[in-house]
Amino acid sequence: MEHREQETHTFHVRGMHCQACVLLTESELQEVASVSRATSSLATRTVEVCGDFGDRTPEEVARELSRVLTKHGYELSVEKLEHRKNWSDFAVAVPVALGFALLFVLLQKLGIVNLVNASDVSYGTAFFIGVVASLSTCMAVVGGLVLSMSATFAREGDKVRPQILFHVGRIVSFFILGGVIGALGAAFTLGTAGTFILGLLIGIVMLILGINLLDVFPSFKRFQPAMPRFLARHALGVSELNHWLTPLLVGVATFFLPCGFTQAMQLYSLTTGSFLAGGFTMLAFALGTLPVLALIGFSSFSIRNSAKAGIFFKSAGLIVILFALFNIINSLVVIGLISPMFNF
Amino acid sequence: MKPLHLALVIAATLIGGAVMLSLNRPGVGNDVPVDNVRIEGGQQIIDITAKGGYTPRTTTAKAGIPTIIRFHTAGTFDCSTAVRIPSMGVSARLPSTGTKDIVITNPQPGPLQGMCGMGMYPFQVNFQN
Repeated sequence: MEHREQETHTFHVRGMHCQACVLLTESELQEVASVSRATSSLATRTVEVCGDFGDRTPEEVARELSRVLTKHGYELSVEKLEHRKNWSDFAVAVPVALGFALLFVLLQKLGIVNLVNASDVSYGTAFFIGVVASLSTCMAVVGGLVLSMSATFAREGDKVRPQILFHVGRIVSFFILGGVIGALGAAFTLGTAGTFILGLLIGIVMLILGINLLDVFPSFKRFQPAMPRFLARHALGVSELNHWLTPLLVGVATFFLPCGFTQAMQLYSLTTGSFLAGGFTMLAFALGTLPVLALIGFSSFSIRNSAKAGIFFKSAGLIVILFALFNIINSLVVIGLISPMFNF
Repeated sequence: MKPLHLALVIAATLIGGAVMLSLNRPGVGNDVPVDNVRIEGGQQIIDITAKGGYTPRTTTAKAGIPTIIRFHTAGTFDCSTAVRIPSMGVSARLPSTGTKDIVITNPQPGPLQGMCGMGMYPFQVNFQN
């Protein structure tokens, strides 16, 4: 019996969560010899595959096609896989997140920022100020951003590279921009309105990423900030660019984030009057912030496939949401819309 | 449910620790009245120290006289170096060590709310007739 006619199967795709996944699954499936056409849909999380599959059952086809997708973290199935919300994970995630938040408040209340006691800034003090800054309220902004980004990328199976790119972007830009400030004798300040818009924007992005990390509102995923499909299609290797450029640019952007320590160090770099002195001061500061930031980000290492992954992502999501609210409220306070709510 | 119990114990310890610490440090709020307002040559000068927050956090001063809020810093690199007073449109950068004056020509009666550039260190000057 000849099977020359084309068959069409619809499979559910587990792990599909973004516009880039649509393109990735389509392009990978179309590489398979027996497939003539593949159309993925993010809305239904399905892929319609058209091709000549011989006598195989849909289950066998799903298993075979899954093989080319597992390396990207997707799995095909005939039956719709129940979206397991794992509410029980919250029993651990909520205390963990609250404990973390309390520790954060405690560090501020104990006056960690008063550990800095220097009148002149050597590279050593700049490094130390960086360490203190990473434990101060700046953690809510920069640390929150690192956690939301690294956990989001880790869930997509990309753990190490985005974080390295983030830190490279951050450290290199601190050196170069610090040097430029020193050479020009003028700081790049965003002004009150600019800082407010940036702070609010980061707060909102963190809120969305945090809610997505909780993994309880599947319909919320379409708000995930991602590259528009028409851009992603032209990008090298589909989602590659997103995974390269986003962390790098976020790292560069941290230079401008509303963090008092960063701004004070920039003000100091400005007075050095030389590219190298300004650059090395900001570099020393950025290196000082690295250990804590790296620790926050690397917590999402090797967690993806372990049994505790759900707990980790839910805890991370809750912490990111708390930081996001903290940032949004503070942005509104600074612009004068509401009166101060925190008193550290 | 061992991890759950462990997490609960850790959370309880942290909450307990935080409560203990805040009980042992009644001065945290540093709202002790400080004599930081003086009048020199018809000008009212309010001294506020900026380091890890603003001290004193609340000041009572006279309304209607030309006023200077003088911020003092000594090795300050935290957020308090970025002073923000939204109602006056003030966004000032303090030197890490030194002083900086913010001039209010005719303070109106009522509270003047200020905070650091990130919003978590507030201070208030209550102008009274």
